[in-house]
Amino acid sequence: MGTTKKYWKGIEELNETPEFLQSKQQEFAGYQTIEQFLGNEKIEESSSNRRDFLKFLGFSVAAATVAACESPVTKIIPYVNKPENVTPGMATWYASTYYDGNAYGSILVKTREGRPIYIKGNRDQGINKGAVNAQIIASVLGLYESSRLTDALEDGKVGTLSAIDGKIMKAVKEANKVTLFSNSIISPSLNKAIGTFASKLGEGKFEHIQYDAQSYAGMRAANKESFGLVVEGTENGIIPDYDFSKAKTVVSVGADFLNSWLLATQFTHQFSLTRNPDNDWMSKLFVFESQMSITGSNADYRGMIKPSEQANVLAYMLKAFGVSTDVSTALSEPTKAIADLAVAELKASKAESIVVAGSNSKAVQILANKLNEVVGAYTKTINVNNPINLFQSEDEKVQKFVSDVIGGKASDVVIFLDTNPAYSLPNADEFGKAISKIKTSVAISQFADETAAKCKYIIPELHALESWNDYQPTKTHFATAQPTIRPLAENTTSPIESFLVWAGAAFRGGKDSRVAYDYIKSNWETERFATQSSYTTPDSYWDMMVHNSCYDLTVADPSAPSFNASLNVASQLPKVSGATEVVLYQKASIGVGIQAANPWLQEMPDPMTKVTWDNCFTMNPADPAYSYRKTYDERHGLSLATLTVGETKITLPVYPLPGQAIGTIGIALGYGRGANGEKIGKGAYQVAEFGGHELDENGKPKPIGANAFKLVTFQGGSYSYESAGALSGEEGEYLIAATQLHHTVMARESIIRETTLETYKKGEKESFNPAHTLQKINKEGHHEEVPISEFNLWDDHPVENVGHRWVMSIDLNKCFGCGACLIACQSENNVPVVGKHEVRKGREMHWLRIDRYFSSDVEASIGTRKDPDTFDYHAAEVAQQNPKVVHMPMMCQHCNHAPCETVCPVSATTHSNEGLNQMTYNRCIGTRYCANNCPYKVRRFNWYNYPSYKKFTEINPAQDDLSRLVLNPDVTVRTRGVMEKCTFCVQNIQTSKLQAKVEGRPVIDGEVNTACKEACPSEAISFGDWNDVNSLVRHESSSTRSYQALEEVGTKPNVYYQVKVRNEKNDILEAIQSARVAEVKHH
Amino acid sequence: MFRKINNWCIGALAVMLMTGTFEAQAQPDGATLFKQCATCHSPFKDGTGPKLQGVREKWNSGGAKDGSIYHWVKDWEAAAAADPYAANETKVKPGSMMKFPTLSNEEIDAIFDYVDAQVENKPAAPVAGGDGNVEVVEQELPMGWIWLAFAIVLTVVVVSLGNVKNRLVLISKAKGGEDVEDVPSFIDDIKSWAWRNRKLTAFLILCVVIGVFVALFLGLYTIDVKEGYHPSQPIEFPHSVHAGINGIDCRYCHNVVTESKSASLPTVNVCMNCHKQVTGTTPEQQEKIKKIYEAAGWDGNQFTGKTKEIVWNKVHVLPDHVYFSHEQHVTAGNVDCMQCHGDMKKRTETAQVMPVSELNKIEGNIQLTKPTLTMGWCIECHDQKGISDGPLDTKKDGYYAEIHKRLLENDPKLYEQYMKDGKVSVKELGGWECIKCHY
Repeated sequence: MGTTKKYWKGIEELNETPEFLQSKQQEFAGYQTIEQFLGNEKIEESSSNRRDFLKFLGFSVAAATVAACESPVTKIIPYVNKPENVTPGMATWYASTYYDGNAYGSILVKTREGRPIYIKGNRDQGINKGAVNAQIIASVLGLYESSRLTDALEDGKVGTLSAIDGKIMKAVKEANKVTLFSNSIISPSLNKAIGTFASKLGEGKFEHIQYDAQSYAGMRAANKESFGLVVEGTENGIIPDYDFSKAKTVVSVGADFLNSWLLATQFTHQFSLTRNPDNDWMSKLFVFESQMSITGSNADYRGMIKPSEQANVLAYMLKAFGVSTDVSTALSEPTKAIADLAVAELKASKAESIVVAGSNSKAVQILANKLNEVVGAYTKTINVNNPINLFQSEDEKVQKFVSDVIGGKASDVVIFLDTNPAYSLPNADEFGKAISKIKTSVAISQFADETAAKCKYIIPELHALESWNDYQPTKTHFATAQPTIRPLAENTTSPIESFLVWAGAAFRGGKDSRVAYDYIKSNWETERFATQSSYTTPDSYWDMMVHNSCYDLTVADPSAPSFNASLNVASQLPKVSGATEVVLYQKASIGVGIQAANPWLQEMPDPMTKVTWDNCFTMNPADPAYSYRKTYDERHGLSLATLTVGETKITLPVYPLPGQAIGTIGIALGYGRGANGEKIGKGAYQVAEFGGHELDENGKPKPIGANAFKLVTFQGGSYSYESAGALSGEEGEYLIAATQLHHTVMARESIIRETTLETYKKGEKESFNPAHTLQKINKEGHHEEVPISEFNLWDDHPVENVGHRWVMSIDLNKCFGCGACLIACQSENNVPVVGKHEVRKGREMHWLRIDRYFSSDVEASIGTRKDPDTFDYHAAEVAQQNPKVVHMPMMCQHCNHAPCETVCPVSATTHSNEGLNQMTYNRCIGTRYCANNCPYKVRRFNWYNYPSYKKFTEINPAQDDLSRLVLNPDVTVRTRGVMEKCTFCVQNIQTSKLQAKVEGRPVIDGEVNTACKEACPSEAISFGDWNDVNSLVRHESSSTRSYQALEEVGTKPNVYYQVKVRNEKNDILEAIQSARVAEVKHH
Repeated sequence: MFRKINNWCIGALAVMLMTGTFEAQAQPDGATLFKQCATCHSPFKDGTGPKLQGVREKWNSGGAKDGSIYHWVKDWEAAAAADPYAANETKVKPGSMMKFPTLSNEEIDAIFDYVDAQVENKPAAPVAGGDGNVEVVEQELPMGWIWLAFAIVLTVVVVSLGNVKNRLVLISKAKGGEDVEDVPSFIDDIKSWAWRNRKLTAFLILCVVIGVFVALFLGLYTIDVKEGYHPSQPIEFPHSVHAGINGIDCRYCHNVVTESKSASLPTVNVCMNCHKQVTGTTPEQQEKIKKIYEAAGWDGNQFTGKTKEIVWNKVHVLPDHVYFSHEQHVTAGNVDCMQCHGDMKKRTETAQVMPVSELNKIEGNIQLTKPTLTMGWCIECHDQKGISDGPLDTKKDGYYAEIHKRLLENDPKLYEQYMKDGKVSVKELGGWECIKCHY
């Protein structure tokens, strides 16, 4: 096993640049000078000399000592009347539903003393089966955002709700027409309230336009044209329901269905069910895309295509099924090869297939529909009888409305509800300016955002966690959302109430208004109750709804609709012209920018680029046009470039992302919020290195990143998220904060292991998961290969088989890299936000990171050298043009032989008899020896007092009087100078153990949860007591796929990983791995 | 003159004081039994339920069937169905009464005996909590070190002034033409003395240095260790009256102590359960109870809805990095409240847990030495407290039975080692590990 070869972490190391050599000496990057630390340039002008310094020092030590002697008097205020369901000191959970116009999910909200502090998916209920994404989990922080509106505004000035209501009602009465411009409304009660409002106005005087920042209008139009299927009572086409759990073959053409496409939360869970190699079958995923997306990174086969080639791929596959179109079927050779494989699989799996396309072009979607129809997917995996109600954007109406507003021809009264067109329209600026031309503009919004700030009236809206709501995401699924806290502000209201008030059907109910609640409840009793028979009284039915948060009607079986559309769609395809094609995508963290001010999400590393606090152009470093920097570190940023598309120019740094199709660049949507300094939250703006915001020349805070919605075009009746332009380099570099500087794992098989399904099915562990062995001289004096676990430097901790041994098992096959676990961990464990400049220095505090590794050309697959003898380490550093990807969650491994424990001079980190590596903050003196000695690099040091230091005021929730309420009271807020790291959510372990003791029973497997496990949408993480012989982790840790990271180091971790199994044909890998078996047999 | 009082508990005290031997009686203890009635009934005054004094007499003379009143107490609905008199009585106070099917006729008689024996009279004896002697000063920290510093400064000043004076005398003498020798200063005197007795000096200096260091370290250990901290409170609350005289169980007011990490401060609605009727005897008591009424929004007849929080000063403030769960100790560990808090029946004020010396006096308490509310105190107890008195499986609950099984099956030697002292202590199962309390 031994090797004298050298490994490199980055090109800097390989070339031994002076900066690298210097930084190599420091475990923690960025030594700080006193001036930097004090962060005040004026300090140099002062005249303190050494004596003064000593005086100050002496005085402050004495003062600090004296001050420490007296603890402050703390107040304690009991309830006057304790609510029945609140137990001080204990959590109360509420079932609710999240919907923000882009993401949807059934959730459980944890509250402590009446304040929500944590959100997780509801595994027992709902269409998403507990799968949630980072945005949903992070939304709890938005509740405590102090820039949320608290009062109704008229022309930017605070007014009373009743007065403004009166003015709006008067304007509505006098208006020629009222237009409601909203995001997709899937709430039956809100729709009914709007209906009441509309009927009050009279025939033809009301118009409702729905608009989504990410539109699916093309898809709806395609379904209408293909099958003649429309949403009841409208002319809008339907979107059918997809069931990925039944699909043996999945072909995605640019649809990121594991991240942002449609009901991604539901799809992620369904897809994860098909990724277990021990099942009868494992799905095969083909992805054709331009930008390396989360879905693409989990593909078994991935083809790189330009956005303009999406139709060609579909046409090519249709042709293979004997369906002719007028679309060109010319493809590049590698793409063709993958398409051929996909066709073969589709032909084999027939109806158990799904083809999805991400494009918003009707033409592309018609081709996808045809392909689904040909393979028979509509009889099995795609259900047109249970349409999805999300994303009802009608782009043509929107486009007309926008031009009307700009032309000053809009209705007299325009009401904007939960929508932000002045940010997300292609011509947002023009539209924003034109809002003033509307006679009466009203916004119902939580923030005075880009759109609302320009409206005459703003009605402040409740946060989702403060309000009652109901939803109907699909035809047969109904859900409710319930408040988990009393409204924080006096005058915030539910839109249901506003419409009822304006319709004259209700009066404002003030802070504790029951208007919306009574209205929703009565709707459920009058309308929903009759549709079911399980509950005999309306009250028991409603109680069930509030308890479960959702209810399903019987889903009709899929039935194949008849396909009637013309396939001669070439002329309708989006037209792109330009040297560089541009694809606009959504990041897992920011999405379409609804929560752009959420510091947790801004600091979440992007799953692919690992960049925080910024959006970049992503471009393949192998692209011939790539003339930019390929490496970056703390002091060296990336090259800036300007993209010109028509009149629009966007300047951003260029990030070298392997897997990006040649000739294309990707840009994340959702950035550049608050470009005019709108009050949408402090986290939305760039933070200066030593505190405060970066200001532009007008003294306004600079937004983070650039708004890519400007590049959206309107083509063929819908908005297109693909365009083309010219990219030209700019002077200068831009410092980025990325948490991972290197791309590949360089064939270190002890970190990542993967195999093919075929090899795995042979069941020979030596081939895909060989044990680490070392040579030992046995009693007879012969050399003998023995497992690494036989070599011990220390005595074993008595954790095995006695008491508990907490173990985590992570299935790399199911980890899609979405990052939900990371945000859940941050939320549960009070992990501080440190800002871009600290991340840049490698001081991010996340207890859990997701390492993303690419394969290189000299690897047969990630972690496997093609040829051990001629393996080229230079080449191994460079990721392939279209590499394979592995996402690996990495957190404290709770080693039973922990290297950190032995070096701590004060025993602040010790081992528990339950196998936990304990970190005792109150004992830690901050030597950082432990972090230096940790081979997994998972320890985090508190360089600052993040909860109070001025540098973090803008971004750290713990520094805001309101945002602080999100902190978990069961977890210490760490102070400056101490180490911290993953604790395996020991607070939850202790709670579950106590529960077991109180109830007089052993701990039940699956009852102990870590935040990451709860958050994982694909249930890739399992956690439990290894000493319980029937536990899931015991079972998983003893499976043939189980291995431990860096096992040969002898740290004996309590975290197991499961070998990634790809459902692909990989001859070289199979040859290498089967050769091992032969070798073992030979011995 | 009789002074009108309503406070039944004070009446009870009077009787107790008068009878003296009350508690020693072997018959059913009416006073104790009455406590479960007292939540709703007062002897002299209608509250949630009607007043009870004379009720038995009224029933008997009013034509109730024999034994009907016992029936009523055990199950008033059944009694009302069986006896027309009882049926009529349901109209006295509409609403449902609790049922007490476990009370025997003797016990019910004892309750009525007790109630009827109450005299609506002002007791002669002063009642704790109502005597106005409660200390209301906010506790001050020991300020000794300030005086010490003052003393040192003053000594220096005195010595220097003395020196200056000597010099001035010399100068004035020299000016006067007197030929004077340079009189040695104090410092010179001391120096020369020290030089002459240098061994002694060295020894003394060494002693002083060591003494200072020891004192310093001992002093540092006491930083923020404040036994008996009792800040002033908006309402001077006497535990001695509530838990002591009235014998209210701790868990009646601190009602989440068995199910939560915090024992929690009683909420005002809990106070009002009793204080709707108990309005206080002395002006001091009435003044204090009025504060509860203000908080609850009670105008004497009904709740007005105008509530006001009571802002208490927190008595036990654990550092942020300490996680303490009452549920763990009280419910899972079966630790008596008195082990840590001491005998609250004797507490006349809201104060921190009693000092260790007091705690150790309580029968059945584990004897500890370290100051209360320090980590030493916690882990000392974790070392001594057994999870079970004997082997783990004598603890008939599933959690420890499972732990026991694993120990027996997989590491019997370790188990033997644990059992050397006849018990498995908290420490042996990890009660000394940092992360059990710090996370």
